[in-house]
Amino acid sequence: MLSTFTHTLPILQQESNKTWMPRLAFAPQNTAPRGDTLVVIFLRGAADVLNMVLPHGEDAYYQMRPTLGIPRPDDSSAKKADRAIDLDGFFGFHPSMQALLESWSSKQLAIIHACGAPDESRSHFKAMELMERGVDDERGPASGWIGRHLATLNTGNSSPLRAVGMGTRPQRSLSGGVPVSALRSIADFHLGGDARLLQQMRAALSTVYDGDVLGQETLSMMDTLESLDPSAYSAAHSATYPASEFGLALKQTAMLIKAEVGLEVSAIDVGGWDTHFAQGSVLGLMPNLMKDLAEGLAAFHADMQEHMQNLTVVTMSEFGRRASENGSLGTDHGHGSMMMVMGGHVNGGKVHGEWPGLRDGQMIGPGDLAVTTDYRDVLSEVIMQRLNNQAVDAIFPDYSPRGIGLLT
Amino acid sequence: MLSRRDFLKLTSLITASAALASCAPVYRRLTGDLTTSRWTPLDAHDFLVLNRLTFGPRLEERARFAEIGLQAYIEEQLAFESISDFECDLLLTPFKTLQMEANEIEAATNQLFDGYDRQRPANELRQATLLRQIYSKRQLYELMIEFWSDHFNIFIEKGNCFYLKTVDDRDVIRTHALGSFRDLLWTSAHSPAMLVYLDNQVNEKSHPNENYARELMELHTLGVDGGYTQNDVMELARCLTGWTVKEHFWLGDFVFKEDLHDPREKRVLGHTIRASGQQEAEDVIEMLVTHPSTARFIATKLARRFIADDPPQAIIEKAAQVFLRTGGDIKAVLNTILLDGMPLARPKYKRPANFMTSALRLTNAGTDAALHDYLLRMGQPYFNFPTPDGYPDVSEPWQNNLMPRWQFAFALMRNEIEGTKSHLPELLDVSSTGILEEDVDTLTSLLLGSPLERNARDHLLTTIRSAGASPEETLPILAAGIIASPAFQWR
Repeated sequence: MLSTFTHTLPILQQESNKTWMPRLAFAPQNTAPRGDTLVVIFLRGAADVLNMVLPHGEDAYYQMRPTLGIPRPDDSSAKKADRAIDLDGFFGFHPSMQALLESWSSKQLAIIHACGAPDESRSHFKAMELMERGVDDERGPASGWIGRHLATLNTGNSSPLRAVGMGTRPQRSLSGGVPVSALRSIADFHLGGDARLLQQMRAALSTVYDGDVLGQETLSMMDTLESLDPSAYSAAHSATYPASEFGLALKQTAMLIKAEVGLEVSAIDVGGWDTHFAQGSVLGLMPNLMKDLAEGLAAFHADMQEHMQNLTVVTMSEFGRRASENGSLGTDHGHGSMMMVMGGHVNGGKVHGEWPGLRDGQMIGPGDLAVTTDYRDVLSEVIMQRLNNQAVDAIFPDYSPRGIGLLT
Repeated sequence: MLSRRDFLKLTSLITASAALASCAPVYRRLTGDLTTSRWTPLDAHDFLVLNRLTFGPRLEERARFAEIGLQAYIEEQLAFESISDFECDLLLTPFKTLQMEANEIEAATNQLFDGYDRQRPANELRQATLLRQIYSKRQLYELMIEFWSDHFNIFIEKGNCFYLKTVDDRDVIRTHALGSFRDLLWTSAHSPAMLVYLDNQVNEKSHPNENYARELMELHTLGVDGGYTQNDVMELARCLTGWTVKEHFWLGDFVFKEDLHDPREKRVLGHTIRASGQQEAEDVIEMLVTHPSTARFIATKLARRFIADDPPQAIIEKAAQVFLRTGGDIKAVLNTILLDGMPLARPKYKRPANFMTSALRLTNAGTDAALHDYLLRMGQPYFNFPTPDGYPDVSEPWQNNLMPRWQFAFALMRNEIEGTKSHLPELLDVSSTGILEEDVDTLTSLLLGSPLERNARDHLLTTIRSAGASPEETLPILAAGIIASPAFQWR
């Protein structure tokens, strides 16, 4: 019996073929077994990467950051705990990133510095939009790069949890491919009520969502997640996730991977990186964000040790911040950023990319780190080598990625 | 201070849920003349238009619209000062911080004083915002409050915004929402909450901070492609040095500190700005108000909010011309957009707050509007959007988070929300014939504009009954199913 509420109701009937209805943008081009589970972490607000992985070998860094600069690893005038943690003689971790040393030393964490997008608007919103769409300007496709990856690769996976946007709104990068649901909390993903009531609610919902892709997906997610017990989850190798939203998102990602419910992509946002004011040098606002990020990633790395061969974790941000600190102990919008890639097949323990330098004439615009590696070079390599998808020309239209030797 | 219990009693008395049959006259005063025996079905497009002009049309609004037509309805709503809002105002009386000055609100949250409560200003503002959306008769005005609160978004958790936003909401947004854009922008630029949120309170001559200067052009006026450069951002930031917030006497008020201001000459958008202290940035604000990019940017955003995600260019152009001609008269611009745009309005996916308010209004629920946790799960907690672009205003970002909407729909209809009460049987009593199918038709035309197609209705009823619902359970589950349905998510 036909009773789809999207079609029988007059208000929607006339609109059912219009462009605003969500629809699949692409027919899958390739069939291939699924590759790694991809976790994409977006640091919203333009993270100050020059204080995350800092060039302690650059005098200019210390000249431009008299109060925010992190002391050199061998600076005996500073307490040891306040100094940068040396990575390769030139770059060092901010001390709050210490938790990442283990994955760095085990060569499962790579850094791509001076990495980013060509856009120079220094607008968060324009930069994020272009980056999540994977395009150079507004004329490109409206869908997101992850959406196009999922849409161009048929892995035979019809799970409602093939791609998940952690939080309350799926990331723009996920749009335009397969249906994607937001997932804030596995524990809260249920209708409540006793079995009898649940049956009634479910009956009403499956009737009104008959023929509606997203509604059916939500019902099916509800069934899948019902079998998981988040309160009973215990991470492997005594890993402890931070008690933050980010920690929860990673822990839930781990839970879904281990439960083998068909997760291929998990997108996670971490906000708060727009640090114009009092960002803190060794301690404070931004060091707290870095600590959360590093401890979250470290916990995930430990918890997922047995799964690392089938996992790639990428962190990115829309652009970097001005090399010179501003007068309010913060930093203004800049250009070049940094990406981190973690996984079992990463050419890790290494800072990739050409370092453009921070002296006059080496920087661009009002004194910003230049971009020497396009973020799409990094993502293309991951997509082709770890996700089994060769359709990068459809995923990043009008861009020819360069190989950067990021993966082994 | 009223207790929560008293408050609820008051709420339900004033909203006069039909539960209080003995209060029929009060009920009539609020929801219109109930002598109509049935909820008259509404043409689908009219229902869409009314959904665009209200937070979900109550019966009185349906009746008024049918009586006077679109043009007169818009005129009446635009002349919001002439619409008495006594009942709604009464609901807000417990929220004392709404009328306080910044230093008074600060004192109410300061641990030096007895009975302090740091969460109070934000909670009161959030509750008041929802109560107004649900109960105010000035629906179009409240829609514009929501629009400008997004446009001039402030994250209430940043620094002292937790108490300063209350003042911004009252003195900037609510004072100028249907006035002149120039006054709106002007007061926003002098608003301590905005200066704190976008870091201008630390913008000093020795080290300018670009944050506010950039968003003033990118998000508040010209738009990202509106013709400014990185250099304009840096120069405007210098004009704005010294615009800050008082920290001692009359703390939380705006102050211009000459000694922190960079007096050197600046050049913004091709104009030389000579040293004149506070007036430099004010001159730029006047330039921004009359800039054609601003007119286009505001017209586009209004058209997107009221007409469609992808509104017709011709209407945007026309509204932008009106904006320029009238020097930013918001009523005139909005009138153009609504008059020309409503016939072309296209469905938009309800944002979470609108989903919630429409469900509450259309079921005539009584509520204290302490519903922040539901909004949090749906993704639109008011005044909690961290970045200055405000909550997205197109359909797509909102379409993929159904579960919390379903949770709300069932909780509402099953009366499981503390402080909120729906009275479905009593609501239907007004026109009930005692036949379930006819009650369902009444209910669906109430919630969706017109009754369900008969087959769909019977199928839904059968499904719910065969899942074991008793006669008393059937209608609430069905109503929740309709509220949770795809059709109800669109407006």
